[in-house]
Amino acid sequence: MTGALATRVPILGSVRSVDSVPGTRSGVDPDDAEVGRRFAAGEEQSLVWAYERWAGQVHGMAVRAFGPGPDAEDVTQQVFVAAWTGRARFRPDDSPLPAWLVGICRHKIADAWARRDKQRREAEAAVSEAKATPAGGTEPAVDTVVADRMLVLDELDRLGQPQRGIIELAFFEDLTHAQISERTGIPLGTVKSHIRRTLERLRTRLEVDGAALPA
Amino acid sequence: MPHCQPDELALAALGEPLPAESAAHLDSCECCASEVSSLRRAVDAVAAPAFAAPGSAVPPPPSVWGAIASATGVTAVPDSIAAAPGPDTARPSDEGPGATVVPLRSRRRPLLLAVAAVLAGAVVGAGAVAVVQWTGNDGESITTVALDPLPDAEASGVADVVVRSDGSRILRLELDAPVLDGSYYEIWLIDRSVEGMFPLGVVAPGTQTVELPAGVDLAEYPLVDVSVEPLDGDPTHSGVSVARGEIDA
Repeated sequence: MTGALATRVPILGSVRSVDSVPGTRSGVDPDDAEVGRRFAAGEEQSLVWAYERWAGQVHGMAVRAFGPGPDAEDVTQQVFVAAWTGRARFRPDDSPLPAWLVGICRHKIADAWARRDKQRREAEAAVSEAKATPAGGTEPAVDTVVADRMLVLDELDRLGQPQRGIIELAFFEDLTHAQISERTGIPLGTVKSHIRRTLERLRTRLEVDGAALPA
Repeated sequence: MPHCQPDELALAALGEPLPAESAAHLDSCECCASEVSSLRRAVDAVAAPAFAAPGSAVPPPPSVWGAIASATGVTAVPDSIAAAPGPDTARPSDEGPGATVVPLRSRRRPLLLAVAAVLAGAVVGAGAVAVVQWTGNDGESITTVALDPLPDAEASGVADVVVRSDGSRILRLELDAPVLDGSYYEIWLIDRSVEGMFPLGVVAPGTQTVELPAGVDLAEYPLVDVSVEPLDGDPTHSGVSVARGEIDA
């Protein structure tokens, strides 16, 4: 059972290679798994390969979050720099390198959103203070979703496999539990119970560390 | 009618349709509905279109690789960029007018004024904070560099290049500079054209050591530079240097 799972883990959180970029593949380049192993080992050329293969995917996410331009470019840059400097935390046997990069990208996007939210609230607070509005409970609400998002992403990082891969397929690829079972070969009942336990775990994290929701 | 199975409630929180009987129960049972709602909080938190994968790919402009290369010190270049027309942004020595990574002439230059104001604060003498772990038995200093303050800066120091018994090299730094709030010092090795550089790490007022990357030619990158970096997540040089010296290798 565990053996069967282990062989299937690389399917979890799959990300397409970017073959649309011309001139990035040559016959001598290693396959994706080999790039992941060399990345973990700190071989510089692997950063180049990773960039050639997955920068488009990462940048696509950043552009969907911020539109094309410097904000998206900053995120893409941060993802690869953070991945490289944090490569000791990358476990090639646990998840494919592109899935790991995409996970970092979600964090960087969430961080940037949180900074924007903070700036927005500070600006609003400054404006309302300048107007000397009488306090009437009009203080701009802390965006609970912004904080929740960062907590959920953080908790996802703490999940082992296959739980993490399963919940990411549900969250980010919008697959049903039946599709996840089909994709991963993990039995339907197991997928369902992993989903429930992971959602319960995330709920606990939000209740413990997150803002209290209005009743 | 019995309550829904816990697994079903989790699927409902993900927005999956339930069998008719369970769905009907969920509609009428406050207890089950409340469970779904509490589980959905995490689902909603990450339900952002930008998080979806795999999405459509967008190739980043070549400057992004240049910034990554500058921050990581990786000198290999992606084929797509090497093959692209125009200057190669990843090799400092090849840097041309179209290159976008020129950290010392930073887009963040306006920060210089703000940082200079911060630096006008109290100066902590290096002697007061120096706690030297270094015994001198574990390596041999091959050269000493005085770090002189740059105009309008209150920082200075001394850097020793030390070769350890295993042949690896470190830089031992004594930094005499004000304690910063909301920003930090970083130390760099920079070439004479002030275009190519290696980040060596975060440093603080006082004495510390940083590793020198193996294989870096100190004759080619002789400038030891201390910068003030804002806490903005931008790994490139801020353009705000406060002390600098040249290694006489």
